[in-house]
Formats: sequence, C-alpha cells, structure tokens
Amino acid sequence: MGTTLKQSWKEKADQALGASPEDATLSKTYLFVSFITLLIGGVLGLIQGLNRAGILELPSWLNYYQVLTAHGILLILVFTALFTIGYFYAVLSHNLGGLLPKARKMAWIGFGLKVIGLIFVIVPIIMNEASVMFTFYPPLAAHPVFYFGLVLLVVGVWMCAFGAFIQVANWRKKNKGQHVPILSYFATGVFVLLFFSSIPVAIEVFMIIPWAIGWVETINVMLSRTLFWAFGHTLVNIWYLTAVSAWYVVVPKIIGGRRFSDTLTRVVIILLVILNIPGGFHHQIIDPGIAESVKFLHVFMSLAIGFPSLMTAYAMFAVFEKTARKKGGKGLFRWFNKLPWGDVRFLAPMVAMIAFIPGGAGGIAQSTNQLNQVAHNTLWVVGHFHLTLGTTAALTFFGISYWLVPYLSKRVLTPAINRLGVIQTIFWSAGMIFMAGAMHWVGLLGSPRRTSYTTYFDNATALSWDPYLIFLAVGGTLLMIGVLIQVYAVIHLMFFAPKGETEFPIAEEEDNASKTPYWTERWGMIIVIMLLVIAMGYVIPLVEMIVNAPPGSPPFRPW
Amino acid sequence: MKHLIYGLLIFMVMALPPVSNLLESIMIVHMHMQMPILVVSGFIMGRFFQIYFPVFFNKWNENGFPGILLFCIIMLYWMLPRTMDEALTVQSVQIFKFISLPFLAGIPLRDSWGKLSSNAKNIIIAVFTFVFIVMGIIYIFSPEQICNNYLIVEQITLGWGFITMAICMMIYLAYKTSINPEEYE
Ligand code: HEM
Ligand SMILES: [Cu+2]
Repeated sequence: MGTTLKQSWKEKADQALGASPEDATLSKTYLFVSFITLLIGGVLGLIQGLNRAGILELPSWLNYYQVLTAHGILLILVFTALFTIGYFYAVLSHNLGGLLPKARKMAWIGFGLKVIGLIFVIVPIIMNEASVMFTFYPPLAAHPVFYFGLVLLVVGVWMCAFGAFIQVANWRKKNKGQHVPILSYFATGVFVLLFFSSIPVAIEVFMIIPWAIGWVETINVMLSRTLFWAFGHTLVNIWYLTAVSAWYVVVPKIIGGRRFSDTLTRVVIILLVILNIPGGFHHQIIDPGIAESVKFLHVFMSLAIGFPSLMTAYAMFAVFEKTARKKGGKGLFRWFNKLPWGDVRFLAPMVAMIAFIPGGAGGIAQSTNQLNQVAHNTLWVVGHFHLTLGTTAALTFFGISYWLVPYLSKRVLTPAINRLGVIQTIFWSAGMIFMAGAMHWVGLLGSPRRTSYTTYFDNATALSWDPYLIFLAVGGTLLMIGVLIQVYAVIHLMFFAPKGETEFPIAEEEDNASKTPYWTERWGMIIVIMLLVIAMGYVIPLVEMIVNAPPGSPPFRPW
Repeated sequence: MKHLIYGLLIFMVMALPPVSNLLESIMIVHMHMQMPILVVSGFIMGRFFQIYFPVFFNKWNENGFPGILLFCIIMLYWMLPRTMDEALTVQSVQIFKFISLPFLAGIPLRDSWGKLSSNAKNIIIAVFTFVFIVMGIIYIFSPEQICNNYLIVEQITLGWGFITMAICMMIYLAYKTSINPEEYE
C-alpha cells in the first residue's frame, strides 16, 4: 500500500516536473552523441560534394570511398539510431512513469556496445581497410574487425529494444486493460521493427565474417544482398516512423490543435510494422537471379507501404485545416496563414512533411521496373534519399530537438534560439533544394552515384554534368552551415540556455473521439501476421537463390 | 447479404481463367495462396448461410466438431501432391477444388471456429503445425519430383513455405500459452 502510494505520487511528480535526472541523462547522452555524429557526417558530406564538383581534390591519404563509407554509416545508421533511441526512451520515461532501473540499465549497456561497435567500424575505415560503403555487401570485403563492430552495433540495438519491451510490458501489467499511450505505442512499433529487421542483417554478417577472415572461399552474393535490403529498407522506414510519431502527436499540440483519430493512428503503425520488411526487394529491381514474376509481385508489397503514408498525409492536412479554421482561418488555402510558421518546432517538421511529397512521389516512380532502369545507381537515388531521409526524417528530428533537449535539460527555448532554428530550417531547405534537386536532375542525365570526380577522359556527356555538380556543391555548403547551426543550437539548449520548465508536447484526442478497439494492443498477433507476410515475400526468392546458387564469389578489394 | 456478395466476388475473381492460370503456375502460390483464398471466400460467405439457415447449422454442427472435422479432411486432402496434379490435368477435380475449398472447408470453418473452446482451437492449430512440419520435411527432402507438373526447386520452396508457416503457428501457440491475457486486460 505504502509503496503503491509512493509510486503514483512519483509518477505524478515526474509528469509535472519533467524527466527524472537519471532518465534525462540517458536520453541527453544519446542525443549529444547523435548530433556530434551529424557534425562529423556533415563535414564528410561537404567534402564529397566539393570533390564531386571538381572543386576539391582529396589528399593522397584520404580517398573518396573512405569518406563515402563513413558519411553513409554515420548518418544513415548512427545519427538516426542514437536520436531515435534517445527520443523514444525519453518518451517511455515521460509516458510510463519513469524508466525501470532494469530498462535504463539495458539502454546504457546498449549505448556502450554501440560506442565500442562504432569504434570497431570506424578504425578500419580510417585505415583504408573497409571502403565497402554503408551497404557493405559482398563481393566487397572489409577487414574482419569492421564486421565485429557491426555485430556489436546490432546487439546494442537489441539491448535497447528489449529494455523498451520490458518497460512497456511492465506498464501494461500495472494498468490492466488500458491502451499504451500513443507515443509509447509508436516506440513499441519502432523497436519491434528494429529487432526483427536486424535479424536478417545479423545472419548476413555471420555469413560474411568467415569469408572475410578467409575460412571459407566464396559467398552467395545474391543471398547477402537480399538479407541486407530486408534490413536496410526497413531501417529507413523506421526513421520515417519515428518522424511520423512526432507529426501525429507533437505537431498538433504545437499548433494548438487535437490529434487525429487514435484508432487510425494505431492502424497506420500496425500496417507499417506488418508490411515493411519485404519492401526491401525494391532495392533489387535490377538484380539478376530474381524471376520477373517475383519482382512483379513485389511491386505490390512495395506500394502497399505507400498506403499508410498516404493516410498519414491525409491525417496531417486534416488536423492542420481543422485547427486553423478553429482559429478563424478562412478560404480554400488562406487558413494556412493561421499556422505558426515562426515556431521552429512547427516549421521544421512541416517542411519535412512537404519534402515528403516529392520524396514519396519519386519513390513510387523508382519502384517501377522501367523507370528504375533509368534511375538505378545514378545520383537520382542519392537525391531521393537526401529528400526522404536527409530532409523528411532529419528535419523532423531537428524540430523535435528544440523542445526535447530543453525538456531534458530543464531549460527553455529562448526566442533567439527559436529564430536561429527558423534560420536553420531555411538553410536546410535551400541547401536540399539545390543539392537534392541537382542530384535528381544530373542523375537522369546519367551521372553515376558512388563515384569520385572524373571527366571520363573529357567525354562530352560527362562534362555536361559539371554545371549541375556545381549546384550540388553549393547546396552542400548551405547544408553544412545548417549542420553547424543545428549542432550549436542543441549544445546551447543542452548546457547554456536559461533554466526553466519545458513541457513535453502531447496533443489530446478530440472530445468526441470513438473508443480504440483493444485488439490494437495484441502485439503477439501483429508479430505473427508480420512474420507470415515476411514468409510470403521471402520464401520463394530465397529458396531459388540458395538451391540454384551460382558458384559464389571470393572477396574483392578494388580500392 | 453483403457477406455473400463479397465472398462470391472473391470466388469469381479466383475462378477467372487468367487468374487461376497465373496462380497455379507457381506451386507454392497454388497451394498456399490460391487454396487459402478460396477457403477465405467461403469463410466470408459463411456468415450469410449462418443467418439464413440457422436451423441447419444448429442441427448438424451444434458444438462445432462436425464442421471442423470436415474442414480438416478437406484441407488434408488438398495437401496431397497427387490431388494438386489432378486439379491441373483433370477438369472434374479442378471443379471439385473450387467447390470443396469454399463450401466444404470455408463455410464449416466459419460456423465452427466461434463454437470451439480456446483449448480446442489451440489443439487444431497444434495439429496443423505438426502436419505442416511433416509435409515440409517431405517436400524439402524428397529426392524425386512428387508432382508431375512442378519442378523439384518448386517443391523445395513449397516445403519451406510449410516450415515457415509452422514456425509462425508455433510462435502463436507459444504466445498463447506463455502470456496470460488476464495480466494485461
Ligand atoms: C551536410 C549535409 C550533407 C551533404 C553535403 C551530403 C552530401 C552527400 C554526397 C555528396 C553524397 C555522395 C554521393 C555519391 O557519390 O554517391 C552523399 C551520400 C549519402 N548521404 Fe549525404 N549529405 C549530407 C547529409 C546527409 C544526411 C543528413 C543523411 C542521412 C540522415 C545523409 C545520408 C547519406 C547516405 C546514406 C549516402 C549514401 C552513401 C553511399 O552511397 O554509400 N546525408 N551525401
Ligand atoms: Cu526501401
């Protein structure tokens, strides 16, 4: 009795006073390292952009592919993963009455494993022993230590996933029959996907290690690529789902509205969890060894993910319009003026959503076989994911940081930093319009991705790419300024901003909201259906690749 | 009424020659996609028959066991390699497939599933899990072509289809037995 009383008192206190210091330290550490990674990754990106435009020649001790590998891994894997975990652990702490000591400990162990793993990954890259790019699939072979590092990274993520599962299960036992709060529900979906999608890549890495060491001579390239993309594709969708969580729950609060239907929000999460993993095949439309009929069936699997995304777009604009009209907005489009454009916590995620319109459209185009033949492995693709990942996901993360960091550090967002954030968003948007725009365009003209500057012996076609590549470099420079502002803002909000209380913005449901059905909480069922869908997608091609395998490939090191 | 229309619609799409030809051209899709969809079409129509012929179902399927038995027999029959072959070559067997799966498996399943206790349901799932493992092993390791109409690699694929489905059912059973919903609901 006494302890339960104390417990509920503590919960109330936490909710009123912000995160407990231990939980805040955990999330702050994740976020701090995440943004430092962004800084390093951004510098590397600028180096690449300048090199590709022919403006900067790299010194003899640093080659383009080292830079590219580090940039890819740091930004697509580390920056995003650390941010997501730091954010969702703050969510769990806030939603569920503080972290359990066990869950917190697991997140710290996960952090340690990830840092050690990262060192193992980065050192071979610096020593020019691992220029295999973030996709690291055979036949390119890195130093074995690089793969050990990947294993540690994956185990670190698993630690955090299970810590979250324990936290959520514990809360549900104490709050029988209640729905997990919506942001924690997002967290559950994200960690379920993180766990299941990293299983195939773990299998891949365990296939690669004996081959990279030299114990086995050859490896099945198609199989490894397929296992990689089951993971790689899902990973970027996890970052997208993380961004979506803020769109559904946080942004409505910031604009002073209510959130969209709770049931539909949960259905979107469930659909994204169930349908995601087999989408990986759209990265292999050009790969040989997969029957055309199978590729055709997979177009549906890929486009199926578009459905929850379109639902999201609809939901967001419904919320915006409703809120703006409540505030007196009129006309077909004039209600737009009623939205708080000067508030970075709204502006950044809003630009992120807008970027997803061309980003998503480009993605649907790429999923088509014939169009993929044109775009595949050109700079178009790089332009595409700088829009979707580098803008939609990253800019939402930036927007989150302007309230999450002060909430955790018990400080406040000052008008000056808010203005800085708005400027940051403008730099980022302009930079991406130049950089991603130029990448899309020059990709259609045939300029390949993953290639350092070359004129192909002054070939006329290659020379015609140069003007676009200059735009790419200009965009990259603007982005670098954006990175500097962003990292400055985070550090300022974390250590120097004035003390005070910042609220964790969570929008309420509509007053007349209908009750969410309880089946949405049955994660066991959801996971079984997800596994069935994965089996539907993967059994046919994997058996074909293994049973009718070609001889296999020895390791290659073209650098 | 709408149940009947939806079910029949699925049934008729499945019966279109181009659709059935496409689905039957891949062994695993034939057994694990076309056949289950036919069962599902019957399952959906089942509601209509329950509403309009309640007496029939109450009389013949009072506790759900006769219906589930019929369902099991039909399902096991269509898991035999021989029957798949015949469906492709003998017209009357193909017709029997399109009638038996929706009307003798799907409809009884709809009527029985709700009547069974949760223990009976778990036992049925466990039985199917076991059968799927055995069928999986047979299809994967059989050194010869079991079906005249399908290559060995397709046979192995089908075997893995059985095994992966069995794994999913085992996870489901483990979840059902290890997690007590009363702790959460
Ligand atoms: C300062 C900002 C940035 C600049 C200037 C920049 C620039 C570039 C350039 C020039 C490339 C290489 C093109 C090629 O040769 O294929 C590249 C690749 C890439 N970038 Fe960025 N980028 C920036 C930010 C980001 C962000 C925020 C992310 C993700 C969150 C990101 C993720 C990636 C990935 C995954 C690759 C692909 C690497 C590969 O092909 O192996 N970048 N970036
Ligand atoms: Cu993808």
